[in-house]
Amino acid sequence: MERPRIEVVGLGKSFGAVDALTDITFKVGAGMVLGVLGHNGAGKTTLTDILATRSRPTTGTAKVCGFDVVKRGDKVRERIGMTSQFVAVDDNMSGRDNLILLARLLGASPRQAKARADELLEAFDLVAAANRKSATYSGGMRRRLDLAASLLSRPDVLFLDEPSTGLDPASRSDVWGFVQRLAADGTTVFLTTQYLEEADQLAHYVLVLAFGRVIASGTPDQLKTGIGKRQVTVTLPSSHATFYAAAALTRERLQPLVDAKERTVTVPIPDAGDIASVVRVLDVANVPIRDLKVTEPSLNDVYMALHRSGWNAQAAGSAS
Amino acid sequence: MTQRSTGTHRAVSKNSTAKNAAARNGAPVRNGAARRGPRPARPDRAADGTPFYLRGEEVTQIIRPVRKRPWRTSSFGSQVWVLTARSLRTVFGNFKLVFFGLLQPIVLLLLFSQVFKSIASLPSMTGYHSYVDFLMPATLVNIAMTTAMGSGAGVLTEIYTGFIGRLRAMPINMFAVLVARTLSDAVRLTAVLVVIVLSAVVFLDFRPSSVLGIVAAVALSVVVGWGLGWLFVAIATWQSNVETMQAVSFIVMFPLMFVSSGYMPIDALPTWLRMVARANPLTYAIDAERELALGQPLDWALPLALGLVAAAALVGSLFAAHNFRRAK
Repeated sequence: MERPRIEVVGLGKSFGAVDALTDITFKVGAGMVLGVLGHNGAGKTTLTDILATRSRPTTGTAKVCGFDVVKRGDKVRERIGMTSQFVAVDDNMSGRDNLILLARLLGASPRQAKARADELLEAFDLVAAANRKSATYSGGMRRRLDLAASLLSRPDVLFLDEPSTGLDPASRSDVWGFVQRLAADGTTVFLTTQYLEEADQLAHYVLVLAFGRVIASGTPDQLKTGIGKRQVTVTLPSSHATFYAAAALTRERLQPLVDAKERTVTVPIPDAGDIASVVRVLDVANVPIRDLKVTEPSLNDVYMALHRSGWNAQAAGSAS
Repeated sequence: MTQRSTGTHRAVSKNSTAKNAAARNGAPVRNGAARRGPRPARPDRAADGTPFYLRGEEVTQIIRPVRKRPWRTSSFGSQVWVLTARSLRTVFGNFKLVFFGLLQPIVLLLLFSQVFKSIASLPSMTGYHSYVDFLMPATLVNIAMTTAMGSGAGVLTEIYTGFIGRLRAMPINMFAVLVARTLSDAVRLTAVLVVIVLSAVVFLDFRPSSVLGIVAAVALSVVVGWGLGWLFVAIATWQSNVETMQAVSFIVMFPLMFVSSGYMPIDALPTWLRMVARANPLTYAIDAERELALGQPLDWALPLALGLVAAAALVGSLFAAHNFRRAK
């Protein structure tokens, strides 16, 4: 029987009087991508560090690959790969030497280490730069080298702490592709991110963390339809047109929100079909449009929505 | 207890056995991911021509997890060896670092030997051929001390670059990291000492009594540097701020160096400083260096110096190992 790769029950961590994590409980199976979403200081890195055995929980238990992270940290470390928020490669060494060094530390013989390093350099498209000092690498290349290093031992569970922070869009899509490929092959990926879009793209399941608590969880679609909302923002050429458009949209019960200063009208749209109706209404009313933009629900919207629904009052209630 | 599960959040495996197990535990399972089939349909963004290096079965083979660990976990000895070799390659691969690392003690030696030259005319200096002969053993200890400070700074640097953070999530013994640091610095120290002794002999007319004597003096200096290195490594694992670390190091280093028998004969110091200098452990290291290098009769300074170094290494390593533990 396949056990969960990560199993966390009632996990808490306090630094003195500050509760960094409170009562975190979840399970992740093989080949799953778990997205942990939250703002800076939400507790994402603390949670990652505990699961990767770099920090101890104050309360609760956590098992990775069936081993307790506190009591059997050595067994856990043999089975995980870890990529921190900030790239951790030795800048004074070449990319290849970085990989060889880490493979040797993981137990490979010199020959095995070289073979494994060359394999990964190939897989991560770093062959041309293999013998250059990693200090000369671009941000995307450094991240790729970092990821390659975390995969040297073919880990069952991979921890990625904000892997796309500071990357350009092309490098980010590289990282995303790599995470999808890895999960498809059975690796469990624990991924923290600040971007709802990233969680949406990659994660099968998302935990939203705020102030060390899970304030929401579900598949990306569940979260978005339940919490966030898509909006169409229409920019108009004059304030007259703005109010005219708002009136036309109100008649069709589309609940527009007017920003007179910016001359925009914003309409919430529960499903994709409503974009067309916004355009149709404005077209029929003969309103000239300067710009039309569809905005996806953002992490901010999720937070705002959760705030409105009173999760914080609940959280405060259960804490006391 | 009955409502306990309301707050429970689960990411459920696509594997149905895991799901059943969760159900047996009595927890309601929100299995959105499982309902969507074995793989949720996600548009493969890379298919639209984005540079997407992870494609195809061949690459998959390289990163796929396997049932069997590819390698058995490395031994403590091999971890120390691999990390030491890495540090040494980094140091000796950096020409500027090697060049200025060697130049610094040479400049200091030149400076002190010229500025304090008149000390040679003091009555208690009659036993010495020149001030350089008096100064050289102290310089060997001084270099050992500077290198030891560098060991502490080196540990801090690697904490800052994140390299040590990476090692913490790997199946290795963290103490090996510290052992490797002090060992590689000891090797570097040996190289610096050999160069400076040769320079002093050639350019400053330094006259050690015998080859064996000066080799023993260099060896003692390496041992002193290694032992003191553990003290500074201990400070680095305790005080993680670089500026504070430097401040602490300088406060320790300067009085120890100057209130000793290093630059002036102890008899020439004011009375209260003389007492401090006699209590200063470095005085014994310097005296032992002189005995070895200049062929003076050996007294209790050598065993005392070795004992103090052993004590420093023991205390420093225990303290550092305690602070450097993985999980706090």
